[in-house]
Amino acid sequence: MAELEGKRALVTGGAQGLGRAIATLFVERGAKVMIADIDEAGAKVTADELGESVRAVSCDVTVSSDLEAAVQATVDAFGGLDIMVNNAGIEVVKPLFHHTEEDFDKILAINVKGTWLGMKAALAALPQPGGVIVNMSSLAGLGGVPLFGAYSASKAGVVQITRAAASELRPTGIRVNAVCPAFIATAMVDRLKPIVSEIVGVPFDDLAAMKQGRVGTPEEVAEMVAFLASDESSFCNGGAYVLDGGLQAGML
Amino acid sequence: MAGLLEGKVAIVTGAGKGIGKAIAEAYAGEGATVVVSDIDEGLAKETASGISGASAIACDVRSEEQVKSLVDQTVAQHGGLQIMVPNAGIGRPVPLLGMDYEEWRAVTSVNLDGVFLCIRYGAPAIIASGGGAIVNICSITAQAGTPLIGHYSAAKAGVMSLTQTASVELRAQGVRVNAVLPGFIETEMVTSVKGDFERLLGFPDGQFDQVIAMKQGRYGTAQEVARMAVFLASDRSSFSNGSPFVLDGGCRASLL
Repeated sequence: MAELEGKRALVTGGAQGLGRAIATLFVERGAKVMIADIDEAGAKVTADELGESVRAVSCDVTVSSDLEAAVQATVDAFGGLDIMVNNAGIEVVKPLFHHTEEDFDKILAINVKGTWLGMKAALAALPQPGGVIVNMSSLAGLGGVPLFGAYSASKAGVVQITRAAASELRPTGIRVNAVCPAFIATAMVDRLKPIVSEIVGVPFDDLAAMKQGRVGTPEEVAEMVAFLASDESSFCNGGAYVLDGGLQAGML
Repeated sequence: MAGLLEGKVAIVTGAGKGIGKAIAEAYAGEGATVVVSDIDEGLAKETASGISGASAIACDVRSEEQVKSLVDQTVAQHGGLQIMVPNAGIGRPVPLLGMDYEEWRAVTSVNLDGVFLCIRYGAPAIIASGGGAIVNICSITAQAGTPLIGHYSAAKAGVMSLTQTASVELRAQGVRVNAVLPGFIETEMVTSVKGDFERLLGFPDGQFDQVIAMKQGRYGTAQEVARMAVFLASDRSSFSNGSPFVLDGGCRASLL
């Protein structure tokens, strides 16, 4: 299915993890993708591996001029920008009152301000109507999570700026939605497994199996993003779309 | 190119017209064998006749006997069941203090009891067929009080809750259960009651459309709901379970 045929996308944090899976699926569906990542070398390696429809650009999402340059690079390379995916993000996993001020400032700067700057930069190029923005939030953005206090606050922030942007941009015909995955098999989750296991006192995989059936895959998240990026979701706007195997649905 | 629902058997209730019909058409377009079910047998047959490979089975979803028979007949005819879409629903504006108990029961029995029965009898057949998906057609009115359709809104909130419970109970048996929450969609159910809403709310003629434009930008289409229903029935949503999938043009995103 080439549902994104001819579309031009920019994916922040696209060198690895969810961003890489999104870029991979977008290419499969016919899109051209600019991978923007703070890890320039990693972005180039991923772009090379994904083939000639993919390019790479260095980008720190806390710096507005980096995002503006990434948008410009997309326009220069592909002739325009149709889909902006604000995916770059970091985690801090520790008890809330063990977070440092630096932890707090950094995670909000990357996850919330970075998403806002990404949307803002994309507006200069997204077609009106027809442009699409997909922001990577998290299930943690919809509910409290011990050890993820600042992360959870940052992802709730992503949901709320998604909603505000959706309402404000609706007259322009640009749609904005958020994706809220639970634990997905990425390097980020691998990093936090031992921390969660130790503090919660239950092996991570058992916890994941009990709450969400299993750990999700980056490809599954990419499918949701692709749906929201395509015309298939033309009436979806300002939504927060969950993939969690049933975690949020269950009381126990 | 292979469709997203190739080889699947799907039941869509309330599929004679409106959103259900659009879902039946979209599913067939993605390669599914579709059973078009409706309380109005003539309408079910007429709709099925326009859809390649579809058949019609009449069913009043308020009847345990009929829902059970709908599932049994489907399995007998097609060898299994992978997708159940409890879509049948009714609604009309009545203020709470003007609502008699019969009216309350009429709406909740179709919109909530009917979904329970579809899950109760559909899920075992899906499990026996190796797993699949239930896609409940809910509504954004499940998430907020909705003047004049208190019965409809409460029933839809019940459907969302039932979706959540079913998703957790059935997860280990390979059945995903999600809900589609459309905003106001341009269907006969909505357009036929615009005047009643305006009269009961003291709005001037045409104001209902203005409210929709302000809240949602425009009416959604049944086809847009159907595309979400395709996504949720397909393997593309394999990690989504028990969640609300809103499509409302941005209505719920704004408190204003």
